[in-house]
Amino acid sequence: MKEKAMIGKGNGRFIFGMTAPTMLILLIMTVYPVIFTIVYSFTDYNYLKGIHPFIALENYVKLFENVYFRQAVFNTVLFTVLAVVSEVFLGLLLALYVRSLKKRQKLLRVLILLPYLLPAVTVALIWRMMLSPNYGIANQLLQTIGLPVFNWFRDPNTAFGTILVIDIWQNTPFAFLLLYACLQGVPDSQYEAAAIDGAGYFQSFWHVTLPNITGGLALCAMLRTIDTFRLFEKVNILTGGGPANTTSTITQYMYTYGIKTLDFGFASACAIVMTVFVLILSAVYIKRAVQS
Amino acid sequence: MNMKKKRLVAAALSAAMLASLTACGGSTGETSQAAADASSGGAAEGETTKMTLILRGGSYGDVLKASLPEFEAEHNVEIEVLDMSFDDLHTGIALDAVNEVGTYDLCMVDGSWMAEFTTNGVLANLSDMGYSFDEDIIPNTTEICKVGEDIYLAPYFGNVTVMLYNKANVEAAGYQPEDIQTLDDMLAVAQAAKASGVNGFAYRGDTGDNIVSDFLPILLACGGWVVDDNNQPTVNTQEFKDAMNYYMELIGTGAAMSKDDVTAAVDNGSATLAIGWPGWYVPSADSAADYMVSPGMRSEGAESFNTSEYGTWTIGIPANAPHPDLALELLQYVMDPEVQLASIANGGVPCRYSCLQNEEILAEYPHLSIVCDALDQGVYRPAIEEWTDFTNILGTEMGNIMAGVKTVDEGLADAQTQLEELMQQ
Repeated sequence: MKEKAMIGKGNGRFIFGMTAPTMLILLIMTVYPVIFTIVYSFTDYNYLKGIHPFIALENYVKLFENVYFRQAVFNTVLFTVLAVVSEVFLGLLLALYVRSLKKRQKLLRVLILLPYLLPAVTVALIWRMMLSPNYGIANQLLQTIGLPVFNWFRDPNTAFGTILVIDIWQNTPFAFLLLYACLQGVPDSQYEAAAIDGAGYFQSFWHVTLPNITGGLALCAMLRTIDTFRLFEKVNILTGGGPANTTSTITQYMYTYGIKTLDFGFASACAIVMTVFVLILSAVYIKRAVQS
Repeated sequence: MNMKKKRLVAAALSAAMLASLTACGGSTGETSQAAADASSGGAAEGETTKMTLILRGGSYGDVLKASLPEFEAEHNVEIEVLDMSFDDLHTGIALDAVNEVGTYDLCMVDGSWMAEFTTNGVLANLSDMGYSFDEDIIPNTTEICKVGEDIYLAPYFGNVTVMLYNKANVEAAGYQPEDIQTLDDMLAVAQAAKASGVNGFAYRGDTGDNIVSDFLPILLACGGWVVDDNNQPTVNTQEFKDAMNYYMELIGTGAAMSKDDVTAAVDNGSATLAIGWPGWYVPSADSAADYMVSPGMRSEGAESFNTSEYGTWTIGIPANAPHPDLALELLQYVMDPEVQLASIANGGVPCRYSCLQNEEILAEYPHLSIVCDALDQGVYRPAIEEWTDFTNILGTEMGNIMAGVKTVDEGLADAQTQLEELMQQ
């Protein structure tokens, strides 16, 4: 008994010793900045002035009273929902298709992944060139078939949709990759059993595939939600949040009214609000993960 | 693994991590010492000193970069240049300003940041360091560089708004460039171009700063301005509304584009007119486009105003520059008349009479006489600390008006309210 306790104590120390470096790094790299962001969000901290007087909830009040911020929140939530649903749906379709192939699976996997390998800035610049009203290939195609040149990023009716399409184009491969990996884990025996029972393709999908990849779908949706919520580079490069704030997102708002103006107290409040939104949206998955 | 070994491994891992973390920081003392050594005459004798410049990317920074090799050779220095976008340059200089010893020896500064930077001690006082302007520098371009009699910046690139036009499109509209004297003429040309199937007026419709910058020459020609003598916002005035209504008509003849597209469109003839900057485009006798001073009159017989808005790129030395003495030498070198004259071949626009009125230069670059006139009589954007916020708010409301989300009256009233709140903070 005593010996067992000694071993347990020794193991505890060993476990602590092995996890200590990671815990320390997390404390320095994550916990410390988060705490300071929370603290700064209650101050009128201007980086250049170097002073940070405590102003309680003033930044938060200012934030929620601001009509541009409310529009940015609406845009971000709408964009996230549309992008995540589309990316997961298209990713699943692609994964099912590639998995069903008997040949050239590897080649297709690489080709499909290419957009995801590009940095967001590069993607934005490529699309800006392709959709340029002067030398863009898209508008040249329109002209060829007798349609007028279109200003994709400057028209309030199309700017949001155009950035959405670009984001879906770039990030669907991520959903594909994750769901394709999940599909590999579905036992063939279940499909064989379903086939013996006379299940067709859609019945197999509904009763075999889907239940087996539910966890993967949830994980994919959560990761894409967190990532899409931070959408910045594409908006900043392609539209700057315009026209008429139709593409403004929370991060773009934070950059324009907090970072650019060096009002880090206000920017911190904005960052905290954004984190809370992401946590709410990811809560279901996190709850499941914690429980399991 | 027995307990002793486990403890040893854990201890070794923790020690390694602590050592690496310690190595990452805590070198301020060494840096300060190195900086102090370098500042007082370079590194140890014979050693190459490394300097770092933070410049506006694109043609503005490229011009300065082109003149560096000679200085590097003469002074045994190696210069690293960081090319930044407008916003990143502002943030980059500001973020470095709070360090005891900074990273940058020389920085490019937009005139509109001057108030913010000098109020917060970001820039070194060049007068105290022994720098002064010579009489060759266009006096108006130095106004933004000083606080009282103290010099903080030197005007390096004479950027001032001009009206870009496509020669063939203007002629096809039945006008000669010199005939475009009023905003009415400008609108007539744009409308004629639109009727013929090309864009009349191309403009930037993205960020607040760009929207405001493109509009200010129009506002000036209508006799309006964004602030009064006490720097209080005046965007809900009759002059501003007239200018905005006019601008709505003008942009109705064309399209919003990115900066690169605006220049390309005017050059390739798919757009006719635009408000731009000399740094965007270097015309020649054979080029399809050229530029002129933006019209100063609203209509024939109306009062004429200066409509050239300064966007001069100035250079300064951060107050915490690691090699201030060398930086001053570099600043004096790139501001030297001969070096500035040579920079024209690389697309430079010096703020010097001797360069812009040089007959040989004008024979090759005739457009520089227009730039010289514009630099002589330009108008500065308000030198207020809140200018970045100011343009964010005004640009956003103007964007709402331009997109049809708000009427002119609604948008300007909202902008006025928000700007008054901003200036009261």
